[in-house]
This record gives sequence, structure tokens and C-alpha cells, in this order.
Amino acid sequence: MSLRIRQTLKRILIYGALILLAFTIQTGIFPLIPVFSSAPNLLLILTFSFGFIYGSNTGMLCGLFAGLLMDLFSGGPFGFYSLILVYIGFFNGIFTKYYYDDFITLPLLLCAINELGYNFYIYIARFLVRNRLDLGYYFVNIMVPELLFSLIVTLFVYRIFLKANKKLDRMEEKRGQNVA
Amino acid sequence: MDNKVSKYMLIVLTVLCTVLIVVSSIQNGAVDPLRNAVGYVLVPVQRGVNYVGTGIYNLISEGRSLSQAAAENEELQRQVDALTEENNRLRSEELELQRLRELYELDQQYMQYPKVAARVIAKDSEKWFQVFRIDKGSADGIEPDMNVICGGGLLGIVTDVGANYATVRSIIDDESRVSAMSQLSAETCIVAGDLKLFEEGRLLISNIDKNAGISDGDAIVTSNISTKFLPGILIGYASDIQVDSTQLTKSGTLIPVADFDNLQEVFVITQKKTDMLSDTAESPEEGSES
Repeated sequence: MSLRIRQTLKRILIYGALILLAFTIQTGIFPLIPVFSSAPNLLLILTFSFGFIYGSNTGMLCGLFAGLLMDLFSGGPFGFYSLILVYIGFFNGIFTKYYYDDFITLPLLLCAINELGYNFYIYIARFLVRNRLDLGYYFVNIMVPELLFSLIVTLFVYRIFLKANKKLDRMEEKRGQNVA
Repeated sequence: MDNKVSKYMLIVLTVLCTVLIVVSSIQNGAVDPLRNAVGYVLVPVQRGVNYVGTGIYNLISEGRSLSQAAAENEELQRQVDALTEENNRLRSEELELQRLRELYELDQQYMQYPKVAARVIAKDSEKWFQVFRIDKGSADGIEPDMNVICGGGLLGIVTDVGANYATVRSIIDDESRVSAMSQLSAETCIVAGDLKLFEEGRLLISNIDKNAGISDGDAIVTSNISTKFLPGILIGYASDIQVDSTQLTKSGTLIPVADFDNLQEVFVITQKKTDMLSDTAESPEEGSES
């Protein structure tokens, strides 16, 4: 039992560090690269990957943590990002039963749906309410570029993520056997 | 079983987030202790990542052999910035002098505000918002609503402050509205950020009186009647001024002075308009719309 707890703690620490890393890269590195007219949304990718691989509960917790970081950073109404990311974690957790290794089509599809949902949420809550009606412009110039970048990153990150996850599983299995 | 737990969790978290949104919208600063605590952990990390990132970026973009030229350029740019600012101040003062000679009791000095230099350590990577974070906070005397300038022009305003960091909203953000005036004629207008115009590197000028003499190329500075912005800070130059379809007002675009693409060092003016305000008229149209 204590081993389980220790393993869970270890995972929480690793995932927490991963989210922090994604956050610092997203806010500290991407804006420095002027070639990118847009940037992938790493925190969104992490949240939906967690939800998809581990289920709704993990997805929601990951979304909450990532969202809180964004909220602390952004200075807008606090909880704005947390809310949507928690929902994204939950929503993708529903599809966890279709999850199996090396199946990349569904994650990519989910990535696209999540990106659109996330950006529409921002558009409606922060722009439409101020009577900014030109959705077409925002769609072409903001949503689509971010979507494309995120898809490309998902293609790589998701694979790496799966491998790392498998490795962790194997390590824990081994240790479990040793103790037994 | 797991499904049920998830649903309860979703409901609890939804309520939690909604409450947070409502509380922080109603009472600004309600979550400051939390922001502060996280800031202590996060800001050093961001500063480090930014330092390394900027270093690598500079190395790649400039090349080693060019580093000397770059240093020189930086020095010169600083001089240009200082001179632009000084020039603006002198012009303002010269124009003001004529008026002051008549209204001699009036005591106004432009652009001689106390400043604190700060580094930009993080920026919102999303294109929706133009918000960034600097590495100076309340410990350095930064407070919300302080004006931020860069390159001799207005850059933005501090929206919230932690102990060791502050969040700044650029004037190019879609939610930003600044009460401004023509330097020459002191006729007022509103300078607003616009996501669409920002792509062309411009801002929107509106609410100019139809009979006002503001024309293309005029220097636009922050106005005297603004509630949050100190008077006389250069914002940019007017262009494409046209009469609106309502035939009551004129509007156009503004080319900003500050360079928003490559933000590294900025200055925060540590004097606040609210401290100066005693009996001046308030401008209700200005500030964040949200």
C-alpha cells in the first residue's frame, strides 16, 4: 500500500513538473520566437492528453492545475482558464475507453475539437460580449494558426508522452514484483 | 463508480471556478494572497527560463561576431529612446509654455515622472490577449494602474501586482482604451487597442470631435482628463483620419511609438494619476471595458 502511495506521489510530482515546464515554455520561450505568427497551446495539449490516457479525474486535476497557472498569470477574472481546462479534462476522459497505444488519429481529432472549443470559449466570453462580431476574421487569423501548430506539436508530444508513460508503468511493475 | 466520482468532481470544480470568477470580478485583489504565494515559486523559474531563452535567441539571431555591434546598437537605441522622450518633453513644454504664459498659475510638467526599469519575463503566447509580466513587483514600489513606457512611448498599464512581479496590459490589447489628446491642439480622443488593426501594427483612434483639428501625422499623447494615465505621454502618430458615417465624430488609426514586437526592457512610472487627481474631471469612457 505504501508503495502505491509512493508511486502515486511520484507520478503527481512528475506530472506537476511537466505542467510547470509546459507553462514556462509557453510564456517564456514561444513569445521570443517572432517567426511563429502563432504558438501551440501546450497546456491544452497536456490536459487533454492526461484526460484521454488516464481518465476524467486525472484530466480534471491536470486541467485545474494548468488553468490556475494561466489564471495567476493572466490577470483577468480568476478561474476563467481553470473552468474551461477542467471541462476539457473531463470531456476527454470520456474517450479514455477508446484509448490504446499507437493510435494517433483519435488524439489528433480530439486536439482539433478541444482547440476549437477552447478558442470559441475565449471568443464568446471576452470578445463577443464586447460586440466584436467579426468571427470570420478571428477564426482565420487566430484560431486556425493555433490549431495547426497544436496539431503538429500533438503529433510529437503525444508519442513521447506515451513512451514515457510506458516506461513509468514498467518501472513500477518491476518494483512491485521485487517487493512481492 | 468512477464515472459518478468524476461527475461529482466536475460539479464541485465548476462551482469552485465560477465562485472564483465571480469573486475576483466583483472584488479586485481578493485572490492576491494566492497570486503572491505562487509568484514566489514561479517568477524565479520564469526569470531563469526567460534569461536562458533570451540568451539563446540573441545568440542565434545575431551571431557571435555581431555581438559587439549589437551591444553598440543597444546603447544607441537607448540614446535614441532617451532623445525621443526628451524631444517629446521639450515639444510639449514649448507648446505648453505659450499657454502657461497666459494661465500662469498652472503648473504642469510633462514626462518628468520617476521611473523604475523592469524586464519582461513572460508573455501570453495566445494571440487573443496582449498581456505580459515584468520582474518587478510591490517590493519595488509597483502598484496597479501605474503606467508603463518603452522606447519613449506609452506601452501599457499595470493591472495586478505580486510581491516580485507585475502583470501589464499593453495598449494594443483589444480591451484597452486610453483617453488621449492631440499634442498640438489638446483636442481629446480615445485610443483603443484592436486585435485586427494590431496585425498592421496600429491602434484605433475614435471619438474625435468633427470640428477638431487633428490631422494625419499629429502626435497623440495621453490626455489631462484620463483617470488612469498620466498626462503628456506620447502614444503615437495619427493617420487615416476620416469623418465617421454618423457625421458627428472623426476616427482613424494610430501608429504607436513603442515597439510591441520585441519587448525586453520597459520602464514603470512610479507616480500614479490617482495620486495626482484631486479636483480634475473624470473620464468615464476610459480604462478596461470588461
